[in-house]
Amino acid sequence: MSTIDVDWTRCDAHGLCSRLLPERITLDEWGFPVVDGRELPDDLVRAARSAALACPALALRVGSHDAG
Amino acid sequence: MTAVLDSPTTPVSSIGAPRLLAGVAEHGRVDHARHLLLHGAPVLRRRSWLVAATRDVNLLGRGGGAFPVTAKLAAMPSGRDVAVLLNGSEGEPASRKDRVLMTCAPHLVIDGALVVADALGTANVTIVVHDAAAHDSLVHAVAERTDATVVRVVRAADGGFVGGEIRAVVNGLATGRAVPGGRRVLPHVSGVDGLPTFGSNVETFAHLALLGRMGVAEYARTGSTAEPGTSLLTVLGDAPVRGVVEVPNGTPLSVLLPATTAPVLVGGYHGTWRRDVDGLTVDRAALRAAGSPLGAGVIARPHPGTCVVDEVVRVARWLAAESAGQCGPCFFGLPAIADDLAALAAGAGADRAASAHRRLALVRGRGACAHPDGSAAFVGSALDALADELAVHQHHGRCGRPASTVLPTPEEGTR
Repeated sequence: MSTIDVDWTRCDAHGLCSRLLPERITLDEWGFPVVDGRELPDDLVRAARSAALACPALALRVGSHDAG
Repeated sequence: MTAVLDSPTTPVSSIGAPRLLAGVAEHGRVDHARHLLLHGAPVLRRRSWLVAATRDVNLLGRGGGAFPVTAKLAAMPSGRDVAVLLNGSEGEPASRKDRVLMTCAPHLVIDGALVVADALGTANVTIVVHDAAAHDSLVHAVAERTDATVVRVVRAADGGFVGGEIRAVVNGLATGRAVPGGRRVLPHVSGVDGLPTFGSNVETFAHLALLGRMGVAEYARTGSTAEPGTSLLTVLGDAPVRGVVEVPNGTPLSVLLPATTAPVLVGGYHGTWRRDVDGLTVDRAALRAAGSPLGAGVIARPHPGTCVVDEVVRVARWLAAESAGQCGPCFFGLPAIADDLAALAAGAGADRAASAHRRLALVRGRGACAHPDGSAAFVGSALDALADELAVHQHHGRCGRPASTVLPTPEEGTR
């Protein structure tokens, strides 16, 4: 039941998330992540957590949606 | 340009007998003595009574979100310290209804604050207001009576459009900078002083005062079955009655804007443009279902013979400049969209329209507050509703009409 949330006030368009999780994150014309909002399948949760940890701005969160 | 609204006294009127604005048309500011004659002392009610009564009259928040007040009240924790926050910052640039209410009927707002504070068992009550006259009237009103010493009136620095959102107001009180936080922490979880906070627009509180005083049956004697009571609207432009108007809920918009042929803006700068108002009434749920939420109650119609496209471009640029600059898609996206719109106004073709639509999709839902989504609604609906006008611009590069100047776009520091 995991989804990816972006704290837009923190995101600085570094773009690492899109490299680490290209299956679910692309970048818009300004370099900000466009996140596929569907629930993450189990085999992507690990990559999503890596992307969240790698974010220099700590703007990504992998969490359960209803706790958001 | 916006002579009506920039004048010190906004015209005030009503359809049917005014409730919130009772006595204002005749006397101007309702002082405490007159307030007691008109409304009596505030009638305090238990919290459970208020939860039930606000449900029975379907009272919806008047700041723009139209959130059910009963749910907000019921969500407040009991048995611990809480706070009450009245949002009178009125960030919506075209709206005047809140400052008129606070300036002319301050005691009704204060009564509402006292009713809620008593029901929730707290003495932590704050009214946040930006407008100078409204602030002074409230401060004077608190001094005019002996039962309102718990009410703190705070003059907030101008936080602009996004600073009016309740979470931004909470941040403004705590940090001096009225911007919404990145995580969506709602005031009923953590608001004023970090306490669970019942926060709503000042008009909502004035209705709570009336409801406490009148009870459900009397309160529901006007308005519609779906949404009893009245609403304050700000009407601008080509309309027989302009300024702040109190109307019974259920009033057809065609009463306010008869013989509509020009496009109409419903809901303000986060609202939507429509080609007509056929079948629409002042009914928040129905308007939302029709794709045109009432927002903070702004209804505007440009004058015949003026260019609406130019006005939409001007407001789109203003909305872009109002981004708090916290969130990239809003900060970069809104100016890009305004450029697309300006290009369309200057005769650009379908590729530029496609660009605008693509970028509108890119800003929606990608920010910490409602500004990107609301601005996208304003521009996106204009692209649809003004299709005929835009076609003229595409063929001729302009339409030859003078720009409409119905919608104010205040410069920074002049609000």
